[in-house]
This record gives sequence, structure tokens and C-alpha cells, in this order.
Amino acid sequence: MFKKMVAASAAKSPWIYHINTGSCNGCDIELVAVLTPRYDAERFGFKLAGSPRHADIVVVSGPVTSQSKERLIRTLEQVPEPKVVVTLGSCPKSGNVFKGSYSVECPVDKYTHVDVSIAGCTPKPEAVIEGLYKAAQILKEKREAMNK
Amino acid sequence: MTGFFDIIENIIKALVFPGLLFATIGGLILAGFDRKVIARMQRRVGPPILQPTYDFFKLAGKETIVPHAANKPVYLAAPFVGYVSLIVMMTLIPIGGYSAFSGKADLIVILYLLTIPAVALIVGGSASGSPYAGIGVSREMVTMMAYELPLIIVFLAVARLVGGSSLEFSLQYINAWQVANGPVISHLAMIPAALAMLLVIPAEVGTQPFDVAEAETEICEGPLVEYSGLPLGMFKLNTAVKMFVMTSLFSALFLGGIYNGIHTGVTLWGIHFLDIIIRAIIHFAISLVVTLICMTTVHAVTARLKIEHLFKFYWTVVTGLALISLILVWIGL
Repeated sequence: MFKKMVAASAAKSPWIYHINTGSCNGCDIELVAVLTPRYDAERFGFKLAGSPRHADIVVVSGPVTSQSKERLIRTLEQVPEPKVVVTLGSCPKSGNVFKGSYSVECPVDKYTHVDVSIAGCTPKPEAVIEGLYKAAQILKEKREAMNK
Repeated sequence: MTGFFDIIENIIKALVFPGLLFATIGGLILAGFDRKVIARMQRRVGPPILQPTYDFFKLAGKETIVPHAANKPVYLAAPFVGYVSLIVMMTLIPIGGYSAFSGKADLIVILYLLTIPAVALIVGGSASGSPYAGIGVSREMVTMMAYELPLIIVFLAVARLVGGSSLEFSLQYINAWQVANGPVISHLAMIPAALAMLLVIPAEVGTQPFDVAEAETEICEGPLVEYSGLPLGMFKLNTAVKMFVMTSLFSALFLGGIYNGIHTGVTLWGIHFLDIIIRAIIHFAISLVVTLICMTTVHAVTARLKIEHLFKFYWTVVTGLALISLILVWIGL
């Protein structure tokens, strides 16, 4: 009974933790827009968590600058399992216009597994919601895999 | 045989009806309504009513990380201690005029039990060894001091009104008195005290303008910053149950005696089953209305206070309101 409830709830309350690794702030604004009354991601149970310990979905934006690389890795380690990593925008995926810069160490998948990539510079809020919704479904699969 | 049935009855009282199951489900649904109504006030669709339930079960299925700096047993036990004390409180408060366990001085016991969830938060937060938690803990302590004083004065005013010169602290007797003399809130002298109590509830529960201790955007939920998995879920559950307990306490103290006319006469093993169910539903509805008035509406229209403003507000305005009632009752109005 208890296990069934846990399995049923796994995808219904994904809490987001957002890491900015040197993003231009464009994607960050779009992520916050998703939580505003107009797009209202809270209807799927999404909530912005203040601490990585509370997070289910880690949203990474920005092209991973040399300064933020170590912080990114350390923060990701603090997130309890099951967790899902989502990259927001083109920067963490490919480096975008920052590619080749001396201070940028993209992409993110050099340091961790990436479950969902939301591309775009910047992605539309609709795209962000779709990506996060997919991430929630992956979260459920990971939770089920933990039981086996 | 009667002894055996008494034990069974007490276990059912503690675990099912006014106790564990009723308090938990009621609290979770109340918290769900709270979030939904706030969303509707902000013109959003909002999460489903069951969202706090999903949150709890999701957190129960997550990994629990204990930080290196933490004192493990205290860190893990704190949320459960708070939960148990809330459940005990629920069995002492009359639900629809029916209290599971009653004694001579319930109100004093409740006053002490009310501090335990807050103390659990303080102890758990300081056991986690995080500086954010340190700030949150100090704020939680100040908040506790701020709302305890007016709450005690409100209790004293009710006790004086009901018991006369010998103060009456038994909730069962307060309920019986209200059946005979009308709800406490219908006595004009008690209206300031009721207002004070309505203002104490959001600070006790820790909702928006008074959530200084758990400031999400500022100190990452304060004492909860290091918590994850089931203990975090228990703290969230404590907040939800506390909502139900505090609103129940309000309706027991100020709105008792309105269930007087409800008698269906349907009995099963000598227990008025249908009465209890109807009264429990009405009780829950009253709790919901009180929640909407004193927590949801206030949450939707205010921003967080600073800790010094909170302290000043409680020790001047709220304590003043409670004192007005106490003085009026004491001189016999």
C-alpha cells in the first residue's frame, strides 16, 4: 500500500533546483516565467526548491565556466536519489556562442548524465514545461528502477 | 471483558478517529485546499487538492542523506517527535464536542505540547550543523517567544470566562459550558481574544507573512535546509497537521456548542456512529473556513516580515488584543 502510494506520487511532485553556471540570465528568466500565473507549472506539482537536498530535478543553465565547474559537480552530488538532470538552453549542451572561449568548459555531459536537454536560445516557456514534464516521467522510471 | 474492549476502543481513538489517521488525512487535505485557493486567488489553475499528499509520499521514496556534521539520532528523530506530539494534541481536542481523552487541565497540556513541534524543528535544525539552519533556528526561537505570550493570555481569558474565579482548563468542560451558554465567541468581550488567536495560528503554523524561520527564498527553508527524504516529508506533514490542530483548537475554544442539535440516535455497540461522522465533517468544514480566513487570504496578499517586525507585532498588537479580552472578562463583562 505504502509502496504503491510512493510509486504513484513519484512523478506528481517534482521539485526543481536551478543551477546557473554562467548563463546570460535569459534562460533563468524563462524558467521563472514557467512558474508564474500565466504558465503555472505548479499545476503539475512543480515547485522551486531552495536547497539541493530537496530537489528531484536539477536544471542546469549556462555554458559551465571554469569557476562554476567544481560548484556544479559538488551541488549535483548533494541531490538525493532518484534525481534527473535537465539542461536548459543551448549553452550547457553545446556552448552556443561561448564555444571555444578560454574560460568555458562545456558541455555538461562531461561531468554528469543528462536526462533531458531543452534546446533553444532561449527556449520558449512551453518548451521548458514540456521538457520538465518529460523529466518528471523519467523520475518515475528511475524511482521504479530503484525498487528492483 | 470490558477492560479488553476499553483497550481496543482507546487504540482506535488514538490511531483512527481523532488521532493518527483523521489528523493526518485532515491536515493533508486542508493544506491542499490552502494551496489550491491561493492559486485561484492568483488566477492560476493551481496544484490538485492532493498535492501535499503526493509531496509526502514522493519524499518518503527519496534517499535520506545525513550530513557529516550532523548528530545522526537527534537529526533523524526530531520530525517524528514533533509528529507524535501533534497527534496526542489532536486526541485531547474535542472534535464536534467529542473528545477522545479528557482530563482536568487539557489546555495546559496542550500549551506544552504545542511547543514540541517547534522545539523539534529547532533541535533538528541545530543537529544538522548547517549555518543556514543556525539562522533559521534562532528565528524560530524568536517566533516561538513572540506567539506564546498572546496564546497564553487567550487561554487565560477563556478559562476565566468559563470557570469564573476558579480558572477552568478542561476542554471537555469548556465545551459543555458552551453548549449551555452559547459559543465563547458570541460573548462580546471575547472577540478581541478570538482575533488574537486567529493571528497566532499563522505564526504557529509558519505561513507566509510569518514564515521568517523557513524563509525559502532567503535562507533556503532555514532548519530544513539539510533534510531530505522521509524526515523532510515528516516536517512537511507536521506543518499540514499543525494547520488542522490549530484550527481545531480555535473551533473548540471559540465555536463549541454549535453541534448541540445534531442527534440522529443511530447507535452501533452503544456508540453514536452517525453523530460522530456528521460532527467530524462539520468540524472539518469549520477548520477549512478558519484556515481560509486566517492563513490562505493572509498568505495571498502579504509578503514576508522581518523577524524584528514580527516580534514587535506580536508583543504589541496581538498581545494587546488578548489583554483587552482578559481585562474585560476579569472585571466581569
